Amino acid sequence: MELKEIKCGSCGHVNPPGTQLCQSCGKMINSDYDKKKIKDLMRYDGSAVRSKVRSKSIFDKIWIFFTSIKVGVSIILAIAVAAAIGTIFPQEYFIPIGVDPADYYQENYGTLGYLYYTLGFHNLYSSWWFVLLNGMLALSIIAASIDRGIPLFKSLKNQRVKKHESFFRRQRLFKHDENTENAEKIIGQLKKKRYKVRQDGNNYLLEKGRLSRWGPYINHVGLIILLTGSMLRFFPGMYVDEIVYLNEGETKDLPTTNGQYYVKNDGFTLDTYDEKSKEVFDQALNQGNNIVSNFQTDITVYENESSEVVGAKPDLTEIDNYSIRVNHPYRFDSYELYQSSYDDSQMKAMTFRLEDAEGNTVGENFTVNLDDPEQSYQINENTEIKMRAYAPDFLEIADNGTLVSETPVPRNPAFVFEVNNDGESELSLLQIMNSTDITSGNDYSIRFVEAEQHMASVLTLKKDLTVPLVAGGFVIFLLGVFIGAYINHRRIWISLEDGFTLAGHTNKNYFGMKKELDQILEANSLTPVSDKFEIEDKAKDKE
Amino acid sequence: MESQLVSISSTLLYAAFIIYLVALLPLAASIKSKSKKPGKISIVLIVAAFIMQLGYFILRWIAQGHAPVSNMYEFITMFAIMMIAGFLITYHYFKTQVFGLFAIPVSLLLIAYGSMFSREVEPLIPALQSNWLAIHVITVTLAYGILSMSAVAGLIYLLKAVPATEKSWRARFLESIMAGIVIVITFIATTVLMQSVIGYQDDFLYTDKQGQTQVAEYHLPSLVNFEGAVPVEHAGENNYEEADHFHSGINLPPLIDSQKLNTVLWSVLAGLIVYGIIRLIIRKRITALIKPLTDRADLKLMDEIGYRSVIIGFPIFALGGIFFAAIWAQIAWSRFWGWDPKETWAFITFMFYTIFLHLRLNRGYEGEKSAWLAIIGFLLIIFNLIAINLLVAGLHSYA
Repeated sequence: MELKEIKCGSCGHVNPPGTQLCQSCGKMINSDYDKKKIKDLMRYDGSAVRSKVRSKSIFDKIWIFFTSIKVGVSIILAIAVAAAIGTIFPQEYFIPIGVDPADYYQENYGTLGYLYYTLGFHNLYSSWWFVLLNGMLALSIIAASIDRGIPLFKSLKNQRVKKHESFFRRQRLFKHDENTENAEKIIGQLKKKRYKVRQDGNNYLLEKGRLSRWGPYINHVGLIILLTGSMLRFFPGMYVDEIVYLNEGETKDLPTTNGQYYVKNDGFTLDTYDEKSKEVFDQALNQGNNIVSNFQTDITVYENESSEVVGAKPDLTEIDNYSIRVNHPYRFDSYELYQSSYDDSQMKAMTFRLEDAEGNTVGENFTVNLDDPEQSYQINENTEIKMRAYAPDFLEIADNGTLVSETPVPRNPAFVFEVNNDGESELSLLQIMNSTDITSGNDYSIRFVEAEQHMASVLTLKKDLTVPLVAGGFVIFLLGVFIGAYINHRRIWISLEDGFTLAGHTNKNYFGMKKELDQILEANSLTPVSDKFEIEDKAKDKE
Repeated sequence: MESQLVSISSTLLYAAFIIYLVALLPLAASIKSKSKKPGKISIVLIVAAFIMQLGYFILRWIAQGHAPVSNMYEFITMFAIMMIAGFLITYHYFKTQVFGLFAIPVSLLLIAYGSMFSREVEPLIPALQSNWLAIHVITVTLAYGILSMSAVAGLIYLLKAVPATEKSWRARFLESIMAGIVIVITFIATTVLMQSVIGYQDDFLYTDKQGQTQVAEYHLPSLVNFEGAVPVEHAGENNYEEADHFHSGINLPPLIDSQKLNTVLWSVLAGLIVYGIIRLIIRKRITALIKPLTDRADLKLMDEIGYRSVIIGFPIFALGGIFFAAIWAQIAWSRFWGWDPKETWAFITFMFYTIFLHLRLNRGYEGEKSAWLAIIGFLLIIFNLIAINLLVAGLHSYA
């Protein structure tokens, strides 16, 4: 097919190649159009859509590929199916921290789990092919919007009032009456329904809600902004997601702030609902299960005045106090601090007592601060206990007799104590649930009394500079969707050249448009409009 | 005082349930009748019952101090109420009584199903203490209610358009939807019967995935059980004595929740038997039995309503199910999107309706194709509502 401009045989207007309906008078000028490709001529107002006209060059073929609805829908479907696969087993970020994912999936979900892990489905949403699918979707959205949007925009902008007689008959809503008396009144009443009226001699074009036609393009623009925003996360500095582990009373600098901000944990609170909370909850609470009512960390925020100076001692100025709770993060700068969880598994202190051979307690109990233990404890006038060695997270005894610690965190503490009594000394090794004499013939033994736990708050430090773009994109998307869905583009053409002829078109909800038109026609003692669809239906029923 | 409000509110919900059941009679009559009276009576009844359901919602909100949308019972009930709202909106525009005949039974099934979960008023855990709870859930359920109407329109369309005696896949699919509904009804009936009326209970001790010893309370005889499960009898406090319970002998690894699977197996078995009995009695497909109800339905109008419900419901879903959800997720969980299973399935639902609209607008998927898509959309909603919470543990596991 040669690409030639098409001159309308009726009004002489010259149309771009591929145009279906003359852009000036609306006469069909391209009767050999492919009915399979274009179901509804009025969808883009019969204008030339690039992907339906040009198919020669490689660029044309790529263009056709990405503008194709079939391809677009296939991409959406592929994304949806992939997303579904990702929910069969938990994603990697939902499995316990610190376990080897290879083992985890195999152990918990058997062979299927192993396959799932091997195929990379455990990190599906950040996998390259999932990101690629989203990229293809973006291309498809851009291409399709340009392909259809621009011709539609042009043809709606340049539409003429006067239309060819065949254009009237092609519309779904049609009405002809010999009597033109009431025409002025009808047009006046339609005007009151907020139609904008344009006149060209005896021809009228009434239009409202054209904005509706831009809905799809607005929402596509929003989606492109959103997709761009979500890709920006991969750039350094745009996104921070850190865990801040704070013991009660501890002050720490916040990661990624270059030592500019410090936060102190002034206390962590875990409240549960009790009988006083509300009478109606009694039944739920009496079942013995505690329901948490609040997780809260009271913090003091400091700014470090000397953070610019390398190696300088922090010079902290208190800038704020806040109580972080779930649903109430603390915002500062471009950061947010969230209450994430808490940890009471770490030990803070252990209390011991000394027992003699008869089982009597000697002196006072002594408490070892596990974070910063003292070296000696005087439990009565002539008994002193010295701590000779300490491993916060005991692993083994080294060859040279010292205690080896696996981590610096007091999770499994072990001590070597030396009991000095009247010049005699004996050594013993103490571990959780176990004590071993090191020197032989010990008279005394050290017994564990109680342990105190650290209450640490786990906060999440978040900075996400992509949020404005992603949120803005989605707001534009929503606006476009609502505009496209909730506004109807209605056009009415009226010609008084040969009696009263009326044709109506809307992009959706013919039901509503018919109601609107018939009301006015009836008020002017005219019969309702005829609906091409209904006539076709009746014809079908008769067969 | 507040406890009284709760009981009044529950009574209202219960009374509304009965009134809907009663309203089905004049509604069915209105389909055949030439007089407009039965139709009017049924609408008055439905509106009255709907107002009572709003009463349930408001009173429960006042009593517990937060919107009653915070657990499975409250959420499913809300969805069921919104289906009625969807019906009333559709009725207002299109005067389609026949919709009620399908929407109301489904809504009642949902309420019955929802009331199998704990109905107690419970205080909110910290993550749920937010105004976004009410905003997010109410918009999502409203969208679900409207989107369901497209499935109802689709179902009516197919019942009318597909010949009930046809030996084709489409006729069989349609019939299998009916069989599915029978299975759900049987499931609810047997569970209520065995658990609440008869009080059947067999306890089994088993070891779960984490290696913890758990007790499984079987309210239906055990067809499948956990690996190494021991039948026991509760002997007060935390003590259990070995006992002798019925068990088929099939044991499955702890990866599969055998207790739930047992319920599913019983439901499907009993449901199919009930379905078989129905078929023996009526001697035709269930679709053939209810087809006459759709005789007067206008196919073009059904198609139009099917499309309109999607185009009205979809933006609301995008707003409540994606946008509000993301805002709240950012505030509560520090990220607006985290691919939690429930989030992901909301996304899949969203993508599905996107496909629906593109196929409909650009590829002319109207009539039967559109009707099938609408039904698939509803199944997705139900899947996300029920299956995801029960099958996959995620952040939304409370509801």
